[in-house]
Amino acid sequence: MENKKHNRLYAIFLSRERIGMIRLAKAMLLLSLLNFSGYAWSGDKAAGEARYNQSCINCHGPAGKGVASYPKISGNEVSYTKSKLETYRDGIRVGPNSDLMIMMAKPLTDEEIANLAAYLKDAKYENK
Amino acid sequence: MKQLGKLFSTVIASAMIFGLPSHAHADNHKAMDVPTIKASVVMSGLENPWDMAFLPDGTMFFTEKCKGLSVRTKNGTVNALYGIKDSKGYRDSGSDLFCEGQAGMLGVVPDINFAKNRTLYVYSSSTKYHGSGCKTNFEKCNGNIVMRFKVGNDLKSVSDRTDIVTDIQYKPFESNQPFGGPGAHNGGRLRVGPGGFLWVTGGDRHRGICPQDGQLLCGKVLRIDGDGNAHPDNNPPAGFDKRIYTYGHRNVQGIDFRPSDGRAFTSEHGPWHNDEITALVNGGNAGWDPAEKRGGRGACPDMYCGYEPNQKEGMNPAIRAAYTPMSDTRFKDLMPAAWNNNGYSQGTGSAAFLRGSNWGIYEGRLTVGIMGIGFGGTPPGSRIDIIDIRPDGLGISSVVRMPLEFSKRFRGLVMGPDNALYAATDEGEIYRITAEM
Repeated sequence: MENKKHNRLYAIFLSRERIGMIRLAKAMLLLSLLNFSGYAWSGDKAAGEARYNQSCINCHGPAGKGVASYPKISGNEVSYTKSKLETYRDGIRVGPNSDLMIMMAKPLTDEEIANLAAYLKDAKYENK
Repeated sequence: MKQLGKLFSTVIASAMIFGLPSHAHADNHKAMDVPTIKASVVMSGLENPWDMAFLPDGTMFFTEKCKGLSVRTKNGTVNALYGIKDSKGYRDSGSDLFCEGQAGMLGVVPDINFAKNRTLYVYSSSTKYHGSGCKTNFEKCNGNIVMRFKVGNDLKSVSDRTDIVTDIQYKPFESNQPFGGPGAHNGGRLRVGPGGFLWVTGGDRHRGICPQDGQLLCGKVLRIDGDGNAHPDNNPPAGFDKRIYTYGHRNVQGIDFRPSDGRAFTSEHGPWHNDEITALVNGGNAGWDPAEKRGGRGACPDMYCGYEPNQKEGMNPAIRAAYTPMSDTRFKDLMPAAWNNNGYSQGTGSAAFLRGSNWGIYEGRLTVGIMGIGFGGTPPGSRIDIIDIRPDGLGISSVVRMPLEFSKRFRGLVMGPDNALYAATDEGEIYRITAEM
């Protein structure tokens, strides 16, 4: 009798645990989906534009169009721009103006890099 | 009713008495001879427009650094005249002309007797005279030239290219410097000064010995005739190339002549400190000497101390200025700067004196285009400054930021025959800036 009762309680426990596990799995799936979708369209364009206009614009010109001897940096894939900025932030030299870019990229956070990359992908110059 | 009429009369009388001064107050700028300044776009969608030059009827020649020379006629038609190698749409081109970094097709100016001789001068980078001297950054690399052309009467072509200066140095390779690409510090402004002589501005092309060397033309201002010969009154130090009017420059992209006395003034970029305006003295030294093992310095990266003592990080501009000064006081023939941009370097481009009474109190003052670069704590600020230079050229009385209500990288400034200031921007426009009293 005691054993029967114990088995029934154990079965209930297992069933609740299973439900808990399923809920946990669902939550993890949701979280991973959110995270993945966040990566796919990563970055806030408006925040990226604001950050761009703080300093990048002084060399690369409005909307990343490239001016003087500073290259065009708009129109590139998000992953490309992120990778470049992360490379400079890590202090790795790529090209003749690396010292300048390393200096400018050093203080950037992951979020700022994502925002800049999102903004620059579709940024277009219009003389206003 | 009678009382109402009295009240009405009082109001009218008050308006007459107090209204007039109020109106005068609203137009106070007129009483002070301050003009109303407006800007409008003349051309847009250009590719790095660098310089412009006008004929008396408003015809405007202009250069685009990586494309070539064009002309905008007085009725607005644009003719592409002479391109650099591989540029498209030009009537003619030079297969030796190229662009790289700060180098390319830069200054343009007509001869003082253009109406008679149709002669135009253009500064460009060229491979034609490299010879065997451009294998490294530490050789004499003749890569900048001044060309003379004859312009067709219909403004549709140029001909008879003659290279009147062929030995202005160029930086051929990348180096270990912050702005270290090829073509760095390339100067390039051309202007015709008093008496019709041609003035050519140069840069140090990131070679330490350039500015103070008497035989190299890098880091110099030249005064020559239309055939490229030295002005007979040039007075450089003994042993120097006679074409040199002044030496010891870093990177001069602006030069103009004060209307009141014809004196030449330059504007040049500083190395993260001290953009400068300098009143030139025949044979004088602007005081830039970035060579290593001089002035108390040791060895420097690629033998160039121009960004030391720390070229990797931002630091107080005054410390940099003390280490490698723009105007080094150890030179006895130093031409002291009239203005140093409050110790900052933000990238001064061109310079032009304002001419015409329409500019009111600003007439005769120097405008300077500033690209606005900001590094290491230097505030950015793309703008045109209006600078009142003292008669002795050794200081200024005031600086006013031109009220344009927009910011651009102002690369080229020149006065037009209509007494308007024309400004080329790195973003690709040419603006007409007018002043009315």
